[in-house]
Amino acid sequence: MKRILVLGCGNRFFGDDGFGPEVVDHFLKSHPVPEHTEILDAGTSVRNLLFDIILGEERPEKIVIIDAVDAGRNPGEVFELQLSEIPHKNLDNFCMHSLPTSNLLLELQQYCGVEVQVISAQVESIPDCVRPGLSPPMLRAVPEVCARIMDAIQPSARISHQ
Amino acid sequence: MGKKIVIQPVTRIEGHAKITIQLDDAGNVQDSFVNVIELRGFERFCIGKPVEELPRIVTSICGVCPWSHHLASAKATDAVFGVEIPPAGKKIRELCNSIAYTEEHILHFYFLGGGDFVMGPDADPSVRNVIGIAGKLPEVARKVVRCRWLGSQMLHIVSGKSIHPVTAVPGGFSKALTKEDLEKLKPMAQEILDLAKFSMDYAKKNVFPAYLDVVKTLGVITTGFLGTVKPDGTLDLYDGVLRMMTPDGKYEDFPYDKYTDYITEHIEPWSYLKFPYMKKAGSFSMDLARPSGIYRTNTLARLNVCDRISTPLAQAELEEFRKNFGRPAQLTLLYHWARLIELLYNAEKMTELLNDPEITSLDIRKAVTPRAARGVGCVEAPRGTLIHDYETDANGLVTNVNLIVGTTHNNAPINMSVKQAATSLIKEGKYDQGLLNTVEMAIRAYDPCLSCATHNLDGRYSVKIEIVDPDRHVIDTLVNF
Repeated sequence: MKRILVLGCGNRFFGDDGFGPEVVDHFLKSHPVPEHTEILDAGTSVRNLLFDIILGEERPEKIVIIDAVDAGRNPGEVFELQLSEIPHKNLDNFCMHSLPTSNLLLELQQYCGVEVQVISAQVESIPDCVRPGLSPPMLRAVPEVCARIMDAIQPSARISHQ
Repeated sequence: MGKKIVIQPVTRIEGHAKITIQLDDAGNVQDSFVNVIELRGFERFCIGKPVEELPRIVTSICGVCPWSHHLASAKATDAVFGVEIPPAGKKIRELCNSIAYTEEHILHFYFLGGGDFVMGPDADPSVRNVIGIAGKLPEVARKVVRCRWLGSQMLHIVSGKSIHPVTAVPGGFSKALTKEDLEKLKPMAQEILDLAKFSMDYAKKNVFPAYLDVVKTLGVITTGFLGTVKPDGTLDLYDGVLRMMTPDGKYEDFPYDKYTDYITEHIEPWSYLKFPYMKKAGSFSMDLARPSGIYRTNTLARLNVCDRISTPLAQAELEEFRKNFGRPAQLTLLYHWARLIELLYNAEKMTELLNDPEITSLDIRKAVTPRAARGVGCVEAPRGTLIHDYETDANGLVTNVNLIVGTTHNNAPINMSVKQAATSLIKEGKYDQGLLNTVEMAIRAYDPCLSCATHNLDGRYSVKIEIVDPDRHVIDTLVNF
């Protein structure tokens, strides 16, 4: 198990929802991946991965989640979601298709001692039927998120437990 | 004045659903509706693509059962190209199917549906989850996670990938198994078999007896069943014929590509999702007293339609199951019991396949040539019969696609079970948190997979109940955590 795990979450079939996997693709093409880091396109399978991590004997020290969200900001705006800042109730709707329990990320951090960093970008829109491809604002956000990932996975990156 | 109760979303099932319970003037259940968000537009998206690309594309439909879509799609492309794949290629596909099944069934029994039983249906929802179970049964949780990890490792050894598989291809499989692979895989399979045996024993001693009263009453409906069997009636999850069983236990077998002769679809104005039903019934009705055309898929259905199971431990469990509950068994919560028998079957099956000398043959794939054709591929996904139906032009480009997924087959039964549960639990407008949790239990028994693509941070609650008047004005709101 590597020290840091980066997971790109989302469904490529639904426009901006495919932001996480797109970031992973871009990162792997344009950035070196340090030995201590694993970066995965989790697609809509992140639930399976986190379930096993939360209960496993071996865990990474840090998990970085890359995901598109609708938080009422400007389309393409990149920001970090601090778990402690997100109202308890809101976590249920975070990454709904993937997270089966109400507060899995919070539990991972609080009970398992794994630092969880969530790097998000504001969606422009999510189509109501299959339509692959990111909106222009989200496409422009991809390099910025990759840069943030590089900062997050530096060997010297401090692992802080909130 | 009638009231409407809205429960949304149902936690711990994939995606989300909204449950609306309509009360009459006396406060009793008049009707109920389970609204599911459906993956829409996928068929149109596929038009014009080379059909050989579809087995790779469909794994992104849903991260919950990518192997089922991958294999159903590969089988549909085999049929489009008109090839019979080599035996070793088929056996490796079956091996992947069984490994993926064990991962999913373990997850569901212990952490999705199992939370209702392990922690109790009236337990605080904040502990009816993975952390609650791990705290109550730490040693079991350790075994469960170990076996799910083993399953993931096994799929990685067999196919090179576990999340987005690519190795089932038109005409067979693209990666042969070596004898060295087998030596790594066999002890892993044995460990999963040990957990399957433990789980069956543990549930029969500690879980099902404690909740038998609930099993006998909650969400109970009477329906037909659909599942896959070999031509001789033996359970098969990868290949065979479809068997449609009516509620009286009579059945008819038919090949996959004749499914439109046996299954047709009903549409309700309040649901995106269609309601498949038995064509030969001639009508569709979800009336609890006089249902018509309704059938179920998934674990309980498969065990009901099969005559026998080919592996000894699962066959013994099937015999005990039938002795206790008859054939067809109708009690909805028996889906959980049936799921464990299938877990045992798949664990035995993968051990059997790993000991088959033919599985290391290098003859695993046949060449294919594009042609204008129709091909139907079908597998039993953990959540029910999964049908992929493709048509291509002379260049092998897709001209038509139709998919029926397991949860869609169960759309009508899920609605009926929710109505049955709500009717028995909500009287004269009186209900409490435990009752509403129990309604959720009726849904979770079916292990539905509800596609969902949006993220919302709008402050909605995990489970929210709105009581509204006939003009849809909210007059009361409850949440369950």
